Amino acid sequence: MQSCTHLIVGASHAGLTALSAIRMNEPDAAIVMATREDHLPYSPTVLPYVVSGRSDPAKVTLRSESFFDENKVSYLRKATLLALDTGANTAHFPDGRSIRYEKLLLATGASPNIPPIPGLKDVPFHVLRTMDDALGLKKAMVKGKRALVLGAGLIGTHAAENMAEAGMKVTIVEARGQVLPGYFDHQASGIIETAFKAHGIELVFGRAVKEIKSGQALLENGDAIPFDLLLVATGVRPDLSYLQGSGVKSDGGILVDELQRTNISNVWAAGDCARARLFQSEATGIAGILPIAVEQGRIVGQAMTDDAGVRNFPGSVSLNTYTFFGQQAISVGAGEAPESETSLCVDEDRNTYLKIVIKDGRLMGAAAVNQALDPGILWQLVLRRTDLSEVREAFLADPKTISRMLMSRIWR
Amino acid sequence: MTALAKHKKMIVVDGNEAAARGVALARPDVVAVYPITPQSSLVEALSAMIAGGELDAELMNVEGEHSVLSALQGAALAGARTYTATSGPGLAFMFEPYIRQPGMRLPMVMSLVTRDTLTPQCVWGGHQDAMLVREVGWIHMYCETVQEILDTVIMGYKVAEHPEIMLPVNVNHDGNYLSYGVTSCELPDQALVDDFLGPKSVNWHVALDPERPMGVDPLVGNAGGVGPSMFVRYRKGQTEAMAHSLEVISEVHADWAKRTGRHHAPLIEEYRLDDAELALVTLGSMTGAAKDCCDMLRDSGRKVGIIKVKTFRPFPALAMRNALSKVKAVGVVDRSVSYGWNSGPVYQDTLTVIGKFGLKLPAIPFIAGLAGADITVAHFERAFDLVAKGEAPPGPVWLNEKD
Amino acid sequence: MSAYNSLTYNASLCVGCTECMKACALAKTGDATNLDQSRIKIVPAQEPEKFEAAICRQCGDAKCVMNCPSGALTKNGANGVIDWNADTCVNCLLCTVGCVYGGITYEASVGHVAKCDTCGGDPACVKVCKSGALGYVTTASIYNDYGDKEDMFVPGLAACQGCNSELMIRHVMRKLGRNVVVAAPPGCIPGMGTVGYNGKAGAKIPIFHPLLTNTASMLSGIKRTFERQGRDVTALALAGDGGTSDVGFQSLSGAAERGERILFICFDNEGYMNTGMQASGATSFGSWTSTTPVGDKLHGKSTDAKNLPMVMMMHNAAYVATASSVFMEDFYQKLDKAVEASKHGFAYLHLYAPCPSGWRFPAGLTIDICRLMVESNFVTLWDYTPGGGLEFTHPVDTPKPLDSYLKAIGKYRHLANEQVDRIKKLLEDRLSMLKRFQKA
Repeated sequence: MQSCTHLIVGASHAGLTALSAIRMNEPDAAIVMATREDHLPYSPTVLPYVVSGRSDPAKVTLRSESFFDENKVSYLRKATLLALDTGANTAHFPDGRSIRYEKLLLATGASPNIPPIPGLKDVPFHVLRTMDDALGLKKAMVKGKRALVLGAGLIGTHAAENMAEAGMKVTIVEARGQVLPGYFDHQASGIIETAFKAHGIELVFGRAVKEIKSGQALLENGDAIPFDLLLVATGVRPDLSYLQGSGVKSDGGILVDELQRTNISNVWAAGDCARARLFQSEATGIAGILPIAVEQGRIVGQAMTDDAGVRNFPGSVSLNTYTFFGQQAISVGAGEAPESETSLCVDEDRNTYLKIVIKDGRLMGAAAVNQALDPGILWQLVLRRTDLSEVREAFLADPKTISRMLMSRIWR
Repeated sequence: MTALAKHKKMIVVDGNEAAARGVALARPDVVAVYPITPQSSLVEALSAMIAGGELDAELMNVEGEHSVLSALQGAALAGARTYTATSGPGLAFMFEPYIRQPGMRLPMVMSLVTRDTLTPQCVWGGHQDAMLVREVGWIHMYCETVQEILDTVIMGYKVAEHPEIMLPVNVNHDGNYLSYGVTSCELPDQALVDDFLGPKSVNWHVALDPERPMGVDPLVGNAGGVGPSMFVRYRKGQTEAMAHSLEVISEVHADWAKRTGRHHAPLIEEYRLDDAELALVTLGSMTGAAKDCCDMLRDSGRKVGIIKVKTFRPFPALAMRNALSKVKAVGVVDRSVSYGWNSGPVYQDTLTVIGKFGLKLPAIPFIAGLAGADITVAHFERAFDLVAKGEAPPGPVWLNEKD
Repeated sequence: MSAYNSLTYNASLCVGCTECMKACALAKTGDATNLDQSRIKIVPAQEPEKFEAAICRQCGDAKCVMNCPSGALTKNGANGVIDWNADTCVNCLLCTVGCVYGGITYEASVGHVAKCDTCGGDPACVKVCKSGALGYVTTASIYNDYGDKEDMFVPGLAACQGCNSELMIRHVMRKLGRNVVVAAPPGCIPGMGTVGYNGKAGAKIPIFHPLLTNTASMLSGIKRTFERQGRDVTALALAGDGGTSDVGFQSLSGAAERGERILFICFDNEGYMNTGMQASGATSFGSWTSTTPVGDKLHGKSTDAKNLPMVMMMHNAAYVATASSVFMEDFYQKLDKAVEASKHGFAYLHLYAPCPSGWRFPAGLTIDICRLMVESNFVTLWDYTPGGGLEFTHPVDTPKPLDSYLKAIGKYRHLANEQVDRIKKLLEDRLSMLKRFQKA
């Protein structure tokens, strides 16, 4: 049986960041990285750009073959984790392959959530989570044909834009009342929706699909939307079937402590499969965003190598950047909070939007459309709970300049 | 002439040049010099030999005796056989590295051209300089004749570099009488000396060499760190080597005699002692006049003899006991003063031997020859007369007090 | 792993002239007025007339790179710059989430992110900065050249916290390597445990305690013997100022006069700091030490320091230089020259080594004090060769106030105005004397 010191399952941002941290601390430890993919590592975030043709699939790999050679890492492709024996410290993969580890990182990511819509299983439909999905979707896009997108989250909106740009007639159906619910408020989403409509994309809100039948989606209100291409983009969730019988606790995501360790002492989890603490709430949750996967991956890499410098994960903060039809939207932290003050600045002529939420003199969140901000600095201001009372007015008037000043003064 | 005599090369030299010739035959690698009366002509002779290519050695003209010995310690740590010579104030200035040399177990030969110490100002012979450093851990051998200087310098290397000894040797010859006294002298053959000394190995035990890296002379001692035991171990080893050197000195002298036909008593020379009733203990060049006096008194029927101390450090207690046990009274002629005992140092050591071995004989202290004063046959005759009386005076007898 | 040159910003010097932003905008867009497009952003600080800056730090562990889903951002292994690739960038802006410094930002006018690329190692902003706030530190090559070389001392030498001498002996020995014999006369350097050889303490090279008095002469004997054996071994002294300027001076002078092939490095901490901060001949005027105390009758050291490097210059040594650990490039160049000179003559390096324990300043400020010492002209960095004369290697034309140096150090706390005036006069006289030796 193959054995190693560190087994990393998953080859996206969390796994790769952990890998670098491990290698930094332990130049010679045996490391195996296993991925379900038959590709070199890539980011799911880049897939819409593969679909649009902006990105060459051959050029989006995050690590080259030689990287693994140089770092003495055994990179296993097509190695979907099937089962875990935490008693024997052994992970089981297809074709009878098993690997014994001393320490294990589960960074297995998430898979598309397929809603239980009658008839959906019986028709061909697309999802967009893997490179193969992206290449399949790209190939299926045909100018002039009708595309239906279920879900107006980041994947759905990105893909809809891609398909519209490819000349398809696109409709998005979203059960909730706006695009990007949970990321942006109704007003900010309005700017985005305007752009979508201007590009001929039809938006259907507040309607669930009741059934898929004869090349049409039947809505609750009886409307029927015909399609040639169907993309299901109703969110993702981790596929944790491999945990069965392992003793690793999960609740929709793998439960971890402040150093991303599971209830099994030599098993860690990070990224889209981990349910970790949230910064602005007592609850836990799956962040599902790339910067948090990177944060967690680094913590795990340090924790797995007993790095004395490791610091607790402060908790996920919502962080989003979204570009659409040449425009940009970002959000950091909470869009609203009880007993907070909200400053809103909307310029319809210039198509800009800026919202800042402050509570007790501390930044809770900020969101902007077509307004340059440094989200990394704002994230730090949230995490550090920096007292803004002295610069409050100036900050609200020019958050970019004032946040840079604060950065240079405080953590330069 | 005998067959042996045919090969003899005779030279006419003073004691300083004899020392220089002996040194050259021992082939030192590094010679460091700083001139001082009455040593100067010695280092001048060596410098001339190096300048002329007669001696292949590195000549270091350094800025003082302190650096002379320091440079030679460095050289020895890098593997060099070394030599220098000094006198009186020069030795005093050299004292700091001098006391360190035996602790580092660095073998070398240094000529002490003995000189009385300041003050009063003087530039003449006397043993006070050498006696001041008698407890430092160097081997001290005193020469009587120019020939003995030449031979002892060579033998000194054999003693110093003996693997069971590894200690520095002072070959002492008296300023003025021996340094400038010219006599004929036999110069050994280079091949003989090469064979006698054998290959040199100076720093096998402690070295400063990138090919054998080590830390030399780290802090040792007190109650911390490695504890007192390490320091005791070093000191004890040094003491044992000193004690053992008496045996080695004797072997080396015997070997030299076998090869050259010249016998020098290694530790104590007994002169006309076997049936003697009285004896004088002497050190260095005064022995010549003492022997003349002895011969003269013998001619008149008096049973007198001479006990010459050659190796003064370590002190050859057994040999001294053997000599003293042959006579009924003894006098000791010192060329220096031990202020603590108000007598000479050799006298003190003689008393120690008498006491240690339970001998019963009176011992009279004499002090003579300070700052180049003559010690004549007449002085020795007076000394014998006083010894014959057998009464120890309250203080030493200053033989030159009225000169 | 490599180190890289880097851009530095000293907020206390910045006057907010924005010349750097204009230069950047010009270099990157061809239009100096397009300040929005400058990759360095100077912003007003909270305090009036003060400024802050946002600029890419070219992080070693760059979050922008880790956050990039398309591989468009990469750390350039050759120069350390975070390279941005326009072809593969997908404009997702996740890099701007990763950067906590505002170093990579979305530029609306060009429709993509932009960041500092150090202008290929010759940053336009630094060249126009008149206040000295911006710098381009080019000492990385030293780390790259020497970082992988073996440290010839074991870890955990027992030097005081903040000890400049320990830092510098490690630098020296990394460069010199193993073919060397090291003399460490009594003082801080052996006191910190360098003389030993057992893998846990001391050094990995032949090293010894000479006497405080005879460092140069012992090395002379060692070097002569190796020369006689036909071996090229460096004879090196790592000595304190006491052993160099006081009791060790005679042997030093003799060895220099003889032109012994020795490299003698003096670590000048102005006194006997290993044994309780007693004054030496190198202690500066006015200094409190335990033997030049401060009271009603005595007010610190009453005489000026013996200026050893000048004295060694008068010996016509093959090479003489002064150096400081804040100017490492300068120091390494001098060390190179000194090693070379020591093959044919006596080489003397005088290293200024402020001592937090003995001088009474916080251990964390050692390097700052080193810098201030040079920048206030309290000491002067120069080197000298008999043929080439004296050259100032770091001339300070507009020195920082001497008071800022004296006030930073506890041993000068008691100084009266007259004493400060005397020091000022001394420094002026010394500088003008040195200038007379300057090469034409």
